[in-house]
Amino acid sequence: MAANIIETSGLTRSYGDICALKPLDLRVAEGEWLSVMGHSGSGKSTLLNIMGGLDRPSGGSLRVGEEDLLALTEDGLARFRRDYVGIIFQQHHLVPYLSAVENVMLAQYFHSVPDEAEARSALERVGLGHRLKNRPGELSGGEQQRVCIARAIINSPKLLLGDEPTGNLDHKSTLMIMELLRELRAEERFTVIMVTHNQEVATWGDRTIYLDDGVLVREERNEQGES
Amino acid sequence: MLFRILKNSFLKRPKAVFLVFLSIAMGAAVATAFLGIAGEVSHKMALELRSYGANILLEPAAVEGGGVLHEEDLPKIKTVFWKYNITGFTPYLFGVAEISSGTKRERGVVTGTWFNKQLEVEGEAPTVQGIKVIAPWWDLRGRWPEAADEAIVGAALAKRLGTAVGKELVTTVGGRSRRFRVAGIVTTGGFEEEQLFAPLVTVQELLQKQGKVSRVLVSALTVPMDDFGRKDPAGMNKDDYEKWYCTAYVTSVAKNVEEVMAGSRAKPIWQIASAEGALLKKLNGVMIFLTILALGSAATAVSTSLMASMAERSSEIALMKAVGADRFQISSIFLGETLIISIAGGIIGYLIGDRLGVFISRTVFNSTIISPLWLFPTAIISALVVALAGSVAPLRRALLIEPVRVLKG
Repeated sequence: MAANIIETSGLTRSYGDICALKPLDLRVAEGEWLSVMGHSGSGKSTLLNIMGGLDRPSGGSLRVGEEDLLALTEDGLARFRRDYVGIIFQQHHLVPYLSAVENVMLAQYFHSVPDEAEARSALERVGLGHRLKNRPGELSGGEQQRVCIARAIINSPKLLLGDEPTGNLDHKSTLMIMELLRELRAEERFTVIMVTHNQEVATWGDRTIYLDDGVLVREERNEQGES
Repeated sequence: MLFRILKNSFLKRPKAVFLVFLSIAMGAAVATAFLGIAGEVSHKMALELRSYGANILLEPAAVEGGGVLHEEDLPKIKTVFWKYNITGFTPYLFGVAEISSGTKRERGVVTGTWFNKQLEVEGEAPTVQGIKVIAPWWDLRGRWPEAADEAIVGAALAKRLGTAVGKELVTTVGGRSRRFRVAGIVTTGGFEEEQLFAPLVTVQELLQKQGKVSRVLVSALTVPMDDFGRKDPAGMNKDDYEKWYCTAYVTSVAKNVEEVMAGSRAKPIWQIASAEGALLKKLNGVMIFLTILALGSAATAVSTSLMASMAERSSEIALMKAVGADRFQISSIFLGETLIISIAGGIIGYLIGDRLGVFISRTVFNSTIISPLWLFPTAIISALVVALAGSVAPLRRALLIEPVRVLKG
C-alpha cells in the first residue's frame, strides 16, 4: 500500500464568522486520483487551495509530503508550490502576451532554468506541437487548457491540482483532457486532486469525496478510475 | 526568460510604459536643467551682487606711527591666486580740507580715488578699476571726472556750499590750495554725500602724500561662508589651510590680497559678505528645492501610472505567484521593467534637460552654459531614484496580491 502524500487533521478554514471548512481529517495516498465534489460553496475549492499552498488554513494540521504547510512562510509556500505542485485552473489563467511555449517556460523560470526544448516537448505531449508560438487569444478553450496542463507538469510535480479544469469545455474536449491527464498520470506517477461539479468527470478518479457546507459527508471508490 | 517577459510586457502595454517613461524623462530633464544652470545662476547672481558694494576692506596694518598703503602695489591685486574672482577695486586717500565755493566755505573730507582707471598689469589683460566699477549704484548728476582738476561732490555737501555742476570749488590744506571744476553731484544715501571726490594723484599732491593711499575697497566673487570657512586659519593644519586657501571664501580671498599689499591688513566687510552668502545659499536652496520638487512630482506620476498598471496586471501577478514565484522573483520582474524604463528615461531626460538648461541660461541670464560631465550620471541617478521611489507603493501592492482571491472562478 502506497504511503500518504497528504494528511490533514482537524483542518479548518474560516473567513470571519463564516466557516468554509469544518474540521477535516483526510488522507490521500501517493499516486492516487482523488475527485472532490460538492455544491457551490461546499468548501471544495477552499480545500484545494489549502492543499496547494495558495491559501492558509485557520486551524488543524496539514502535511504534504515532508512539508508541514502551516509552518511555512510566504516565500516557503511559494517554493512549495513551484517544487511540489502543478495547478490547472478552470479559467486557464495564461499570460496573454506570452506564446504557448513561453507560458510553459514561465513555470520553469520560477522553478529553476527555462529550457525551451523541454517546454516544446511538454506541449508536444499534450498535442500542441503545432501551436507553440500561438498566444492564448489564438487558441481554443481546449487548447488553452492543454497549455495549462503542460505548464502544470513541466516541473515534474508530485501533486497535480485541478480546479474544475473541464468546467468551461464541451463534452468532446472534456473527454480529451481527461484522457490526457490519465496518460500523463500513468507516465509521471503524480497524485491528482480534482475539484469538479461533473459526476462523469469525478468517476475518472480512484476515489470521490463529497463536501457539503465544509463537511466531508461521503466518499466512494470509483471503478472506472481504478481500472 | 526575464528578457522575454520584459520585452513582451513592454510591447503589450505601450501606453502604460510610455506614461512611466514620460514621467521619468520629465523628472530627469528638469533635474538636469536645474542642476546644470544652478552653478551658472550662482555665478551670475554673485556678479550681480557685486554691484551692491565691495566686500573686502584693505587698510594699513596697525604699526607704530600709523601704517600706509602704497599706490604702486595696487596692480598686484590683479596678480593674486584669486585674481579672476576680483571684479574690481579702488583706492581711497582721505584728508580734511577747507572747501569753499564763492562766499561759502566749510571743513570737509576730500577723498582722492580712481574713477575709471585703465589698469595695465604685465602678463594680464587690461582692466578698468575705480569707483565706477565697484559702486555702480551711485547716482551721479553730471559726469565722472576726466581731468586732474575735476571733482564730484556729495549731494549734501554741494547743497550746503550752494555749488552745482560746472561751478568751481577751492580746497585748501596747510596753506596749499587746489581749484576743482564740479563735474558731477553724487547721491549715494550714505556718508559719501558729505565728501568731495577728486582724482587720487591730485589729492596726493594736495595732501603731500604722493604715492600713498588710506584704504582700498575690493569687490570679489566669493562662496557662502560655512563652518569650515569660519575657522581661524592660524589654527589649521597644512591640509586644512590649503583647502581653506583654495576655496573662495571672503576670508581666504582677503588673505590672498593682503599678502601682495605690503603693510596691509585685509578685512571682510561682513554685512555685505554675510548678506551675499545668505542670499546665494538661499538661491542654491531654492534650486535644490525645485529639483527635489520636480523629482518628487515625477515619482508621484510614476507611482500613479504603475499603480494603474499593477491593477491591470493583478491576475498576471497572481498567476506568477500561483506557479511558484516568490517575492524576490516578482520584485525582479517589476523592478527590471522599471530599471529599463528609467535608464531610457534618464538618457532622454538628460538630452532634453541639457537643451532646456542652455535655453533657460540664454533667455534668462543671457549666457551660454556647457554641461559638466557629472550631469549625465546625475540625470541617470535622478531617473533611477524617481523610478525606485515611484515603484515602492505599486510593488508593495503587487507583493500583497493573494492569488487565491484574484484567480477565483
